[in-house]
Parts: sequence; C-alpha cells; structure tokens
Amino acid sequence: MHPISADSAAVENTVRVSPTVPFQIRGRLFTAIVLELSGDVDDAFYAALDAKLKQGAAFFAYVPLVLDLEKAAGKVIDFKLLVLEMRTRRLMLVGVQNASPEQKRAAQLAGLITLGAGREMPADEALRLGAATSAAPRGATKLITEPVRSGQRVFADAGDLIIMGSVGSGAEVIARGNVHIYGTLRGRALAGANGDAKARIFCQSFEAELVAIGGVYRTSDDFEGSLLKQRVQMYLDGDALRIEPLK
Amino acid sequence: MAKIIVITSGKGGVGKTTTTAAIGAGLALRGKKTVVIDFDVGLRNLDMIMGCERRVVFDFINVIQGDAKLNQALIKDRRLENLAILPTSQTRDKDALSREGVERVINELKNDYDYIICDSPAGIERGAHLAMYFADEAVVVTNPEVSSVRDSDRVIGLLASKTRRAEKGEPPVKPHLLLTRYDPDRVARGDMMKMEDVLEILSIPLLGIIPESPTVLKASNTGTPVILDQNSVAGKAYADAVSRLMGEQTEIRMFQERRGLFQRFLRRTA
Repeated sequence: MHPISADSAAVENTVRVSPTVPFQIRGRLFTAIVLELSGDVDDAFYAALDAKLKQGAAFFAYVPLVLDLEKAAGKVIDFKLLVLEMRTRRLMLVGVQNASPEQKRAAQLAGLITLGAGREMPADEALRLGAATSAAPRGATKLITEPVRSGQRVFADAGDLIIMGSVGSGAEVIARGNVHIYGTLRGRALAGANGDAKARIFCQSFEAELVAIGGVYRTSDDFEGSLLKQRVQMYLDGDALRIEPLK
Repeated sequence: MAKIIVITSGKGGVGKTTTTAAIGAGLALRGKKTVVIDFDVGLRNLDMIMGCERRVVFDFINVIQGDAKLNQALIKDRRLENLAILPTSQTRDKDALSREGVERVINELKNDYDYIICDSPAGIERGAHLAMYFADEAVVVTNPEVSSVRDSDRVIGLLASKTRRAEKGEPPVKPHLLLTRYDPDRVARGDMMKMEDVLEILSIPLLGIIPESPTVLKASNTGTPVILDQNSVAGKAYADAVSRLMGEQTEIRMFQERRGLFQRFLRRTA
C-alpha cells in the first residue's frame, strides 16, 4: 500500500484481472532477513537467538527469513526441527542460501526453497555477487510530499527516498538508498535495504521507534536522550549504527 | 445534493457517537436537513444517545437486505423537525453490511437531505471502512493521549487511500480534527497531550475542542444530544464546531468546565 504517492496509485489502477483467467502472474521483489549460520544448530544457537530476539523481536516477527550456510559448510542440520523452532519464535524460515548439495536436499525435503549459489556453481555465484554489490547503479529517487501516516509503508526499491512531511508512529519508510525526512521521524526508517552499508538516514527531528541501515538496526530503547527532537544523521561505522546531531 | 460526513477515530470510546448526535442535531438546529446513520452493527448505540431507542422498528440492515423500505426505518426526531435517525441492528454483525447496499441507501438519502452523517464503529475493519467509503468529509475524533492520536493518524491515512474518492482519483476526503475530552488543567499538569502537539502530529485542520465535562455523560444517559444544552460548555463547543463544519470562519474558543469553590480551593493549595 503506497496510498500517498500518485505514481504507485496509477500502477495499481492499471491492474486489470482478465475476465477469463482467474489469476495473474507477476514478478515482485520482497525484502527478507538473512541469518548467517557459523556454527552448529544446537542449544547454544537457540540461546543466542533468543537473546538477540529480546532486543527487538517485533522487528523480525513474521518477516521472511533466509538461512545463509556459507560459513556452515558440511554441517548436518535437521531442517524440519529448525523450521518448527523458528516458527515458535515467530521467525518465518522460507529458504536457505549457499547450501552444499547435501544441505540443499535436506532443506528441500523440509519444504524450504534454495536460493543463491553454492561454490561449485560459478554462474550463480556471479549473479549473487552482482546483486549484492552496493555500487550497483541506483534508480530513481522517490519523492513523497504528504505525511506518512501510522500503518503506511513507503518503499523506494530503486534509490533514495525523500519524505517532505513527517513519518508517524507506526509508519515505515524503506529505501534501497538514503532516506531523507524533512519532518519528524516518529516511526521506522530503513536505509540501504539491499545491504548498502554506505546509505544514510537524515531527519529534521528525531523521535524514531527504530532505524536500520544495511540490516543493522537500533531501537528507541538505546537511543541517547540528548538526540531526541534533534536534527540528526545516521550512518554505519563498521557494524555500529551511529546517530549524530547535524551541525 | 447531500454532503456525506463520516465521524471516525480508529480508537473506541473517544466520543464518536456523542459527536455524531451533537453534530447531527447542531446542523438540524441551523436549518439543515440532516440524517444520522449508525454503522456500528451489533453494538447499536446512536439511537440511545439520540433518545429514540424505543421507536426502532426496522433498521439500516433491514433496508440493505430489502426487508424494509428506507422510510419505514428512518426515525424522525421529536425535538428537531430537520433531523432523522437511521438506527442499526443490534442482533446482526458487520458482515451484514455490503458496499452496494450502503451505496443504495446513501444514494436514496442524498436527494432528500443536506447532510448525511455516518457514525463509524471503532477499528478499521468492514464497518469502519464502509462508514468512511462514501464520505466527502471526515471528522476525526481524537482524545489528547498517545494511543488515540496514533489511531487517528492511521485513520487519516486510510481516508486518503481506502475511500471512493481515493479510488476514483477525485479530490480527497477532507479531514477535520475534533479534540474531545480536553481538560486544560490536566494538560497543564502534563497528564494530557497539548493541543499544539496533537495538531503537529496529525497536521490536519482543527474543527474544535470539546472540553471534558460531566454534562456529556448526563446528556448521553438522558438521550439528549449535548448540543441542545446550550448553557453547557460542551454544548457551546459543539455549536462552534458545527459552524466551522458549515464553512463559517469562527475563532476556536477554548471552553473549560467551571469548577466549584471547594475544588478551586483544593487546587490552590495543591
């Protein structure tokens, strides 16, 4: 739902279901979370996972999740059990990435899809690297001239996102590139949604619930009080998401 | 041609039905032919607030399903000749509402009335959606507290995207903010949000501020729209809001319940 941007409304209007065929097939890009496994799936894994979820379980809840097995080559994993355990934590494991042929078979038997490439498939590997490269050319900037209201979600899937009004509590703005907000940020802002660690978020007044860049996120629990209602920028410094007042 | 106005909020218990009754009666007092429709199927309240619950024979759902004619279900107000009430069903649920049925009823009413006021149920599901779907304007009823403000924000977004006007690409539904249960003393103490902060977050034009007042509860219990009590602060505040809704440029006045001597004394020493 992008009710506030005229262009997306136009796109929705062009959707015409043919009277004879009861469906249409379309390609669509979705955002997923990737969990990089680097050890065994054992009690210690679940304990660490639970600890992580305590910091921001709502952020991951019911979002598609892909397990990256690049650093877990050769590990034998009970995928059926893993899927169930993930579900009880409201994590929706949908597929695996960079799995060995044995892991792939096991994953497929558990109803998971296999994404990306194994090392022995150079063509796919190249594709994956291409997609992940942050320097890949960015598309058009999306401009929103109205406030983004609670419950609304605006996604600039190609480039930067500019919001001229405020982003309400419970609203979400996401961009592949940078996010610029010329009002108050009270909801969530996510920049570098495709993994671009160089993306930044800027806002005129900072009262956010959650901010994320390139998948690294922080919630309002650990924002410094001195930043509240200030003009700030956010960027990634290694794995740390820095929030600083704009001078 | 009637103007269709939805009274909505997202959150429950903020004063939608009280406001519907007051604004409906206020417009009728000003000589406008007005009908108020209760969309809260299953939790029928508007007829009680309007004091006509004993006269309900047929209802909105009967008309939608073709079991009764519109004129059989419409109840003429006994105090105001310009005012009619279309009560809803207490025994059915929101699924009994269909978009086509609602459209048919509204189209039929459009020719005979100046204003059609739709009293939305709480929430953002079917009942609330159909209440706002055909609206030209919306009164967003908000209490000065965070959850009400956030729900109002959500509803304002839906008005801009999920209404007939939005779907047809016509000029958008015009939203008005009505702040209800406002208590300047509690605002001063920091227990309630300031009017300015609510306005800043929602950024839609202010229609009026209705003060917290015991006369509102009394009016509800006696089935009298509070606007008919023209000595009460809430009645005066609603009368101002009605003027603005009719397009008059009046100043927003901040009314406050006058406290008794004893309470004033308590406050000074507190």
